[in-house]
Amino acid sequence: MIEHGPLLETLLAGASICEVTDSEAFRRLNDEVVREELNHFLRPLNRRLAQSQDGSVFFLAYQELNNDAREHLSKEFKQTIQSMLPLLEWMQLVQESMGRDGALSAGDTIKFQEFALRTEDNQSLRQRFNQLASDRFFKSNSDNLDSQLKQVFKRLKETGYLHQPHKDRQFYTVTGKIEQLIEMVRFIKDEESLPLDEMPQQESMF
Amino acid sequence: MARANQKKDQSPTSRLHALGVARLNLIGKHSEQLMHAYINGHFDEVSVNESALDKLVKARLLHRPDENQPLSLRPDVNSLIASLTEDERKRQINADVAGQLEQIRTRVKHFSDAQYRGDYSASEHHFQLLTEKVHDMTGQFSDAIASLWNRLNSDFGFVSNLGEKIRENELAQKQLRRLLDGFELIDFNELIELAQSSGPLRKLLVSQLQVTISDSSSSLLEVQKRLVELMARFRQQQERAQLITNMAAFLKQHPNFEVGDYPNRSNIPELINQAAPIIANASVALDKVGDQQVLGDIVRSIDIVSSCYVEPLTSSGEFDLEAELAIEAKHQQLKEDVESFFIDVLEQEQTVSALDYLADNKLDWDGEMWLFQVIAEHEGLTKDIRGRFDLHKDKQFEHAFNHVEIIRDVQLGLNG
Repeated sequence: MIEHGPLLETLLAGASICEVTDSEAFRRLNDEVVREELNHFLRPLNRRLAQSQDGSVFFLAYQELNNDAREHLSKEFKQTIQSMLPLLEWMQLVQESMGRDGALSAGDTIKFQEFALRTEDNQSLRQRFNQLASDRFFKSNSDNLDSQLKQVFKRLKETGYLHQPHKDRQFYTVTGKIEQLIEMVRFIKDEESLPLDEMPQQESMF
Repeated sequence: MARANQKKDQSPTSRLHALGVARLNLIGKHSEQLMHAYINGHFDEVSVNESALDKLVKARLLHRPDENQPLSLRPDVNSLIASLTEDERKRQINADVAGQLEQIRTRVKHFSDAQYRGDYSASEHHFQLLTEKVHDMTGQFSDAIASLWNRLNSDFGFVSNLGEKIRENELAQKQLRRLLDGFELIDFNELIELAQSSGPLRKLLVSQLQVTISDSSSSLLEVQKRLVELMARFRQQQERAQLITNMAAFLKQHPNFEVGDYPNRSNIPELINQAAPIIANASVALDKVGDQQVLGDIVRSIDIVSSCYVEPLTSSGEFDLEAELAIEAKHQQLKEDVESFFIDVLEQEQTVSALDYLADNKLDWDGEMWLFQVIAEHEGLTKDIRGRFDLHKDKQFEHAFNHVEIIRDVQLGLNG
C-alpha cells in the first residue's frame, strides 16, 4: 500500500490520471487488485475510484451521495456546463488553425508557437481567439494576442485539459480529460434530447 | 533474338521497334511539358512549337477530349505517369479480369493450333504473347494491391479533409471488391482443361497463377479488413467533430440554456460524480522520539535570516496606536497644506515655485517631502482638472558622469 502513497495523494488532490498525465500510475490503476486496495483505503473518506466511460481516465468519485456530496457536485456541474462552450470553441479553433483532420483527442500534441503563429496570421481566427480569451473561463483581460495565448494555455493546464511534459518547452499534450468533456457533451445531448443532428451544417460555412 | 538483329529489314517487328523508340524518345524530350500537363490537367500549347505539338498529337500522347477543350494527356499516358510515380490521386485500378481471361483463352487457342500444325516459330510466338498476357494480368493485380496498401498506409494523406478521406476509402473498398469478384471469375478447372497435357501451359496457367491469386487474395482480405477499420475511425472522428460543432453552435444560440439538475437526482449519472479535492497536509510533530534527530537536522539546515523575520501580528499597545494616529494626522496636514498651495496658484493665476511657497508660508515641512507630495497631488488629480495646471520640474543632472536627474524645485502654474 505504501508504494501507492503518492498516487493516492494526487488522486485525493482532485487530479485525473490518464495515459498522458502519468502513464505509470495509469498502468497501475488498470490492475483490479490495486484498485481494490485503494478503494479499501478510500472508503472512510467517502471516496472511491471511478473511471470515464471509455476507460481512459481515473478520478475519485463519492462513495455515498450525501448532502455535502450533492452540494459539491451541483457546484462542479454548473461550472462544467459553463466551461463547455469556451472549451468546445477552443477545440474548434485548434482543429481549424492546425488544419487537423478530426477534433482534438487525448494524446494529440499542440506546439504553442505553431498555434500562435497560425492564429496571428489569420484575421478571422485571431478575432475568434480574442473573443474566446476574454470568456470568463479563460479570464484574459489583455488585448495583446501573446498574453491572451499564454493565459489560455495556462488555464487549460490548470484545469487539466493540457499536460506540459517539459517545463521549459512550450509543447503540450491533450489529456484524457478532453474525452470526459466529450462524454459530457454526448450525455447532455442525449439526456436533454437536444436536436443537434438537425442543426444546419456549420462546416460548410468555413 | 539473334535472327531479329541480323539485318535492318522492313519487317513489322522492326518497324514497330523503330516507332516505339521514336515515341519513347519524344516522351523524354518533352518530359517537362508533359509532367506539367499531368499536374495541371491540360497541355500548355505555347510551351512547344507547332511541329513538336503536331508530333505529340500524332504520337498519341496528347489529344483534345472535345473541340472546346484544351489539349491534354491521353488517358494511357496519364495512367502511365500515375503508375510510375505511385500517384494515388490518379492511379487506376484495373479490375477487368473477365476481359483479360477472354484474351488468355484466345491466345491459348492460337498456341494450341500452331502446335497442332507443327508451326514451332508461330507457337513460340503465341506462347510468348500468352506469357506476357498472364504476367500483365498478375502484374496488374500486384500493382492494384500495392496501390491499395499505399493509400491505406498513408491514411489517405493525398486528400486534405476527412470528408474526402471517407469518399476515397469508399472508392478503395469498391475497387477491392471488384478485384475479389474478378478473382472469382478465374476458374482453375477450366484453365487445367485449357492447358491439357502441355507442361509449360500448365505451369503458366495453373501452378504459377494459383500461387499468385492465393497470395493476392489473402493480401486483399487484409487490406479490406484494414480499410474497414480505418473507415470506422474516420467515421468516429467525423461524428466527434460534428458533435463539437453542433453543441458549440447550440450553446451559442441558446445562451440561457438550462440543464437538468442531475446532481440532485436519486440516481446520479456516473460521469457527474467527481469528488471534491482533499489536501493531505502535515505539520511538524515532536511527539515521536525517533523523529527528533531528523527534525533537528532539518532545522539546522534551514538558513534563517533574521532580517526576513516578520513580527507576527499581535495587538499593539496604546502607545503604538497613538504614534500611528500622530503619523496619520501629520500626513493629513501635509496633504491639506499642498491643497492650499494648489488653491493659492488658482487664485493668484500665476506660476509659483513650490519651494518659495513653502518658505513664504513658513511651513515646517522638509523640502524633499514637500516636492514629493506636490507632484503626487498633481498626479492624483482627475484628468481634466490636471489639464488646467501646468507643472514644471526644475531638473538638474546630479553629476556630469551619470544621468541621474535631481528635481530641484517644481513650478506650478495655470494652463492657457
